[in-house]
Amino acid sequence: MNTLHQSAKATSRLGRPISASVLIAWLVYLFLIVPSLIVVPMSFGTSNELVFPPQQWGLDLYAKALDPAQGWLSAGGRSFVLGLIATGLALMMGVPAAYGLSRTNFFGQKALSFMLLSPIFAPTIVVALALYLYFATLHINGSMLGLVMGHAVIITPFLVVTTLSGLKHLDRNIENAAMVMGATQLQVFFRVVLPAIKGPVLSGSLFAFLLSFDEVIVSWFIARSDQPTLPVKMYSSIQWEVSPVLAAISTFLVFITVIVSLVSAFAQPENTDGF
Amino acid sequence: MTSKLTLHGVSKRYGPVTALHPTDLEVREGEFVTLLGPSGSGKSTLLKIIAGMELPTEGRIIINGRDATEMPVRERDLGMVFQNYALMPHLTVFDNVAFPLKIRKTATEEIRRKVHDALKTVQLEHLKDRKPQALSGGQQQRVSIARAIVYNPSLVLMDEPLGALDKKLREQLQFEIKELHDRLGITILYVTHDQQEAMSMSDRVALMNGGRIEQIGTPRQLYFTPETAFAADFLGSSNFIDATVTARTSERTVCRLSSGEEIAAPSREGFSEGQKVRLMVRPEHISLLGQAVSADRNVLKGVTTGTTFFGESAEIRARLAAGSEIAIRIPNDYSLPEAEPGAPLHLEWDVRQTHVFA
Amino acid sequence: MQTMHALETNTTIGKAHRGRIPIMIRTLGFGTFLLPLTVFMLLVFCVPLLGVARASFYTNGTWTLSAYREFVSGALFHRALINTLSIGFMTGLISVICGYFVAYHLSRMPQRKRRLYIILVMLPFWTSILVKSFAFTVLLGTNGIINQALQAISGTNVVVPMIFNRAGVIIGMAHWLIPFSVLPILSSLLSQDKALRDAAEVMGATGMQVFWKVTFPLSLPGVLASGLMASVIGMGSFVTPSLLGGRQDLMMANLVDFYVREALDWRMASAIAVVLILLALLILSTAAFVRTRLSR
Ligand SMILES: Nc1ncnc2c1ncn2[C@@H]1O[C@H](COP(=O)(O)OP(=O)(O)OP(=O)(O)O)[C@@H](O)[C@H]1O
Ligand SMILES: [Mg+2]
Repeated sequence: MNTLHQSAKATSRLGRPISASVLIAWLVYLFLIVPSLIVVPMSFGTSNELVFPPQQWGLDLYAKALDPAQGWLSAGGRSFVLGLIATGLALMMGVPAAYGLSRTNFFGQKALSFMLLSPIFAPTIVVALALYLYFATLHINGSMLGLVMGHAVIITPFLVVTTLSGLKHLDRNIENAAMVMGATQLQVFFRVVLPAIKGPVLSGSLFAFLLSFDEVIVSWFIARSDQPTLPVKMYSSIQWEVSPVLAAISTFLVFITVIVSLVSAFAQPENTDGF
Repeated sequence: MTSKLTLHGVSKRYGPVTALHPTDLEVREGEFVTLLGPSGSGKSTLLKIIAGMELPTEGRIIINGRDATEMPVRERDLGMVFQNYALMPHLTVFDNVAFPLKIRKTATEEIRRKVHDALKTVQLEHLKDRKPQALSGGQQQRVSIARAIVYNPSLVLMDEPLGALDKKLREQLQFEIKELHDRLGITILYVTHDQQEAMSMSDRVALMNGGRIEQIGTPRQLYFTPETAFAADFLGSSNFIDATVTARTSERTVCRLSSGEEIAAPSREGFSEGQKVRLMVRPEHISLLGQAVSADRNVLKGVTTGTTFFGESAEIRARLAAGSEIAIRIPNDYSLPEAEPGAPLHLEWDVRQTHVFA
Repeated sequence: MQTMHALETNTTIGKAHRGRIPIMIRTLGFGTFLLPLTVFMLLVFCVPLLGVARASFYTNGTWTLSAYREFVSGALFHRALINTLSIGFMTGLISVICGYFVAYHLSRMPQRKRRLYIILVMLPFWTSILVKSFAFTVLLGTNGIINQALQAISGTNVVVPMIFNRAGVIIGMAHWLIPFSVLPILSSLLSQDKALRDAAEVMGATGMQVFWKVTFPLSLPGVLASGLMASVIGMGSFVTPSLLGGRQDLMMANLVDFYVREALDWRMASAIAVVLILLALLILSTAAFVRTRLSR
């Protein structure tokens, strides 16, 4: 009751311009969310043309997407395996690195962390070109090995950042206490630090997987054109003709994104404003 | 004298929690009133309601003769000094103090003059181009005070303004604020939980406890005639002794301790013979002579249990024949032959300095 | 606490691991944890990047500046450079403005509700750029949903061109970068001391004055930094201009792609990439400078 009274008072006190800003905020939310939502009803249409709303409803587009002859299924499988391996590699390198960064303070540490995180800021096209030229000399362009390495470069820095933010909330005295009780640094890392940050690491690796699963540019340069990843196949498909089957694929991708976002939201501690 | 602030039955509830019971309060022009009380007693709540940051659940607020209960914060014509200064980090000292004047669209020349005067009042003219982060805590709080007085608000609210400062600086700023108040005649409503601060600065102190004003009066009134055991205990130090009322005249109430000793106190309303009461006497009012038996003095026997030296004074703790522990504060130019633990003591004090509480 | 208990009782772990790694830890300390990623990044990120720089100078066994000379003199490169800068800054600006409204709205709600809304804002950010490009073709195309709606409302045959042109690129890119700029602005708004706004209000400021004289100036460093950041990321974008832009909206990233795939000229592709990364570095260091300068 009282809070109602108060908030009514607060808005009237602040006057109209503020409510206009709320309206604009809502328009932006709408703009952000509509493209992800629009593909869902479209995926249940049957016609060969992209019309909204669909004239007829059905699962034809899904049947088409799952048809092995169309190649979507194998591309999806390739992306899935690639995502899993790249995320595993990122976890093995990124989590210890984040721990190392957060617990040391040496000369040149800033430069090192800039180097380790710079793929986040570097234009992806430059990274893609660099890997393409490099892998050409190593003759691993078009191989799974090349794709895994390329994706690891892109997603590991991201995992380092999320792990670092998890470590920031960890009380260092817990580690010191474990050391005093005779634990080695490795034991402290595996038995004290890792269990304490498993939430952020889990959500970070889910997003890292998603990042790899959706990655286009590096794959576009490195993957063999007859063995595309899912995003590469989508990219070339949109480039040539916008086929309705893309609505089904898109809906699937949106679904994965929603799942990852929800799971990681639950994995995060309550009192943070992280993403 | 006109009233700058009047509260009629103002209360505040947060759901089931009552942060403030219906409260009346008046602050007169030029007065320095302090809300004093332990943590959670509702001081900040009361101040926020006056400032308009919270709405009262019931009651009316009159500021400078106008009903301000529903008035937006900005129209209440108040100044405020916050515990953590609340200086704008993106503005210089000058611009911080000029802020309220710019809001009021004061002419540039007048702003310059008034800000200059206000900064001069707090002796910070030479720092006017600095950013607040480049000042010490004490200097920041002085800027904040200059900002609160530069536009002559009806009433200046201060919520524990010295809480973040160290003891020495706190004492100096107490003095400066008091001096500023006396010189400029501003009206101040001050919040603190430090009883010494409240006593040394205020014209009147409103002692708060559990969301209500327990007692309001001059520091002397609160100290010498506390109306409740809480007031006696919170302001200054106090000794409590359990007793039973045995006789009562219009002037004196006589009480008997469990040891059979009798203590007299000035009579107050509301006590009857046979009632169990708590007697209070302040440690500094007790002396150790214990020889001069007179109708105006109370005398008790005790045994020393310990002594602590504080430099300018010493505290002797004693166990009474009635069982309870009691503290005695005496100036330290004294020789204390009886102060060895186990030594018997004769305690003595003025009947008028004995207080009876239910 | 549980982990502590495990530590005390389970001492066999330490013995099992005794070997090469513990010795490394004793000599390198925490560096051991950093070593694998550092080596990986040196080999698979830094060396390839240097390779790009080398390839831009070194062709057919000779060192030459020819690629950069062509870049400086070629009209195509000028256009791509101007497009990259203008589209980048334009989207940075739009993202920051839209992002500010969202961040302000988020900053004024209770934390539980805010967590929910942040998921809502970040969802489009994590959605594949191809899904969004596809959705925008469907939404903004000549026969797209918006044009159909406009025709139905106006009863005419109007077609507003919103795709395969500059507008399409900017809409698509802003959609991606708005969530990106919301978070830094939000954290700068949330870190503001509420007492400052209270103080301003007590001194007589209206809601608008509180915003323009307190909230906004305090958030400015965060706004500028995240705007520049969004611009840099926009400037590197490749998919959006390729799928939603027209021929005249070619950006430098697309040019890199063109030189690798169509022209098979690695030297030129590398030179463009070098210019692009230098541009990014320049703007990022400006952003860092602005941030430290303004927040002082
Ligand atoms: N927003 C709120 N919701 C619920 N209860 C509140 C709220 N604000 C204050 N209270 C309660 O009201 C009571 C009085 O709080 P108030 O802040 O006024 O105390 P105070 O005297 O200023 O204490 P302190 O010296 O610690 O600042 C406390 O019990 C507090 O828990
Ligand atoms: Mg308080």
